[in-house]
Amino acid sequence: MPESCEAAVTLSGDLHARPAGSLAMAAAKFASAVELTVGASKADARSVLAVMGLGATSGQQVTVRAAGPDARQAVTTMIGILADATRVGD
Amino acid sequence: MSDEAKVGIVLVSHSAALAEGTAEIAGQIGGGTVVIATAGGTEDGSIGTSIAKVRRALRLADAGAGVVILPDLGSSVLTVRALLSESENLPGPLAVADAPFVEGTVAATVTAAAGGDIKAVLSAAEEARHARKL
Repeated sequence: MPESCEAAVTLSGDLHARPAGSLAMAAAKFASAVELTVGASKADARSVLAVMGLGATSGQQVTVRAAGPDARQAVTTMIGILADATRVGD
Repeated sequence: MSDEAKVGIVLVSHSAALAEGTAEIAGQIGGGTVVIATAGGTEDGSIGTSIAKVRRALRLADAGAGVVILPDLGSSVLTVRALLSESENLPGPLAVADAPFVEGTVAATVTAAAGGDIKAVLSAAEEARHARKL
């Protein structure tokens, strides 16, 4: 029975290329589909180029939505990467 | 998935500097766990392509899961095609990506780093054509 899960985080730095890569690599490990939303833009978290294309900057809210058997864990992992990666302003 | 061999990447460019710089960017974004071998420029270091360099890069990049090749432009594509049509002693499986060079390399590297198979890595590279930057 697939579940869905959602959480949001406010970025403390810009979402640069390296954290986008970390998000995409982590998203690929989950069976759930994971989507990131910033304002009106959405991206499949597995696509590093789509994540970079969000152009998310410091102070913006990123919503993570996952649907699938490991949705909860996927959202927790994504939120963790978004919080850590943007903190160092990589 | 991550215990298995990863798909390797070969960059074929007219310029050694372009190939190496692109490999460096993709390596940083992809966490440095994928072999990205470069075949840039001619044997004497000028702008052009070298079938021998591509052959060497394929051997370096092959870890047993196959190699995705990204050519930059024009004769890079022709050189890769010539090599694939003539040689029997190539590692395999091999796939050539019809993709923008930098974006395709980054997308392919990230997918390979996550344990994607050669089909997934090729698709990631080719989907890069549709990714918008703005």
